[in-house]
Amino acid sequence: MRISRRPISSTPLGMAVKRFSKSVNQTLLNAMPDHIFTSERAIKTFERIGKYISPAENRAILGATALGLQVGIDAMNHRVDEETRKISIARTIAKIIAGTFTGFTIRKALIKSVDAFSKLPSSLGKDGKPVQLTRLNTFFSPITKVLANSDEYQNYKNGLGNVLALIVMTFTNFAIDLPLTRFLTNEFAEIGGLNNEKS
Amino acid sequence: MKNLSNLVSESFMNIKNSLMRQFGEDPGKMLLHTGTLGWILSSLAQVSAVVFNDKIPKKQKSFLIPQEIADGCVNIASFYLFTNSFTKFANKMVSTGKWRTPAIDAFLKKYNLKKHIGSVDFNIKELANFDEIRPAYKAIASGNAIAASTIGSIISCNIVTPILRNKFAADRQQKAIARIEQNEKPKLCYPKGISLDTFQRYAAAHSSNGMKI
Repeated sequence: MRISRRPISSTPLGMAVKRFSKSVNQTLLNAMPDHIFTSERAIKTFERIGKYISPAENRAILGATALGLQVGIDAMNHRVDEETRKISIARTIAKIIAGTFTGFTIRKALIKSVDAFSKLPSSLGKDGKPVQLTRLNTFFSPITKVLANSDEYQNYKNGLGNVLALIVMTFTNFAIDLPLTRFLTNEFAEIGGLNNEKS
Repeated sequence: MKNLSNLVSESFMNIKNSLMRQFGEDPGKMLLHTGTLGWILSSLAQVSAVVFNDKIPKKQKSFLIPQEIADGCVNIASFYLFTNSFTKFANKMVSTGKWRTPAIDAFLKKYNLKKHIGSVDFNIKELANFDEIRPAYKAIASGNAIAASTIGSIISCNIVTPILRNKFAADRQQKAIARIEQNEKPKLCYPKGISLDTFQRYAAAHSSNGMKI
């Protein structure tokens, strides 16, 4: 049997999907209002979001909103009996707290570490003078023409820090998240009126 | 040995350069890809947490284990699909000029490109003289991508996923409870079923004129 080497996007089905996706995008774009951000404050907000929201802050925002939204959704789940609902809420809160705590802390620490070990010739020290480059402080530095203080380089450091954090979290998920979630679930279940034997 | 060391060092440099290319320009993409990987790992840990918690009774486990598996699958799929679509669409809003700053507006006016605003095929970044507004464009594009990716994740992980997983897990729990209850019912041990042949032989041997219902 001969296998076609044509990319999926150039097959009739692929092209139909592409056309459909394009037309949906165009319809949505047409439905959206045209907007010019004239306020300096709005533009500055976009700049700040781009500069300061790293994957660590992103994880913290997700956790904070999860506490309000997910717990509410679990509390309104009347498809299950009351006891199950209570333990489900306890577990959701425990999971959010444990996951957000480790997720934020490890990401933040790894991004800081990557920052310390990815100096470029344009990197400045605390005294405003160029940093002396060593094998160690350039360990994570790529070959790049961008400046050390550019957004692109900050994005790279955030991305690499996040990837390393995920590797670390493969272990901490079992070493920290798991026991912490279990402990907190039992604590919250007790507070919710389910005794330990039951919960 | 030296070759191996060179190979490792070269591969490491290639990874760093590739990450620089992938994530440097598009922080929204970085959040999406690393976020998906993160959900896969965290789902694995969360399922284990329920499986190995002895304090959760069997009845609740029958709800919580499928809840976790469902949570994981829906989380990963909805995170990727929803956040990706949301981020891509928000990026399109900026790249087609639908959302723009006065600097970008002036640039489009200068080159008589305002008629293309909002067309799905139009991309400011692909214009030959894009370098003129690169800083102004980046100022809004990076923040917009991160904000879209964050809002997309909030909707997918904190609203869509819990609703879907609760529905899925509740259905599974009902089935599991029904199965447990079925198993707990006493089994009929006697009389054992007999074949039609045996029945016919027995009937012939003990024939009766009347038929009892």
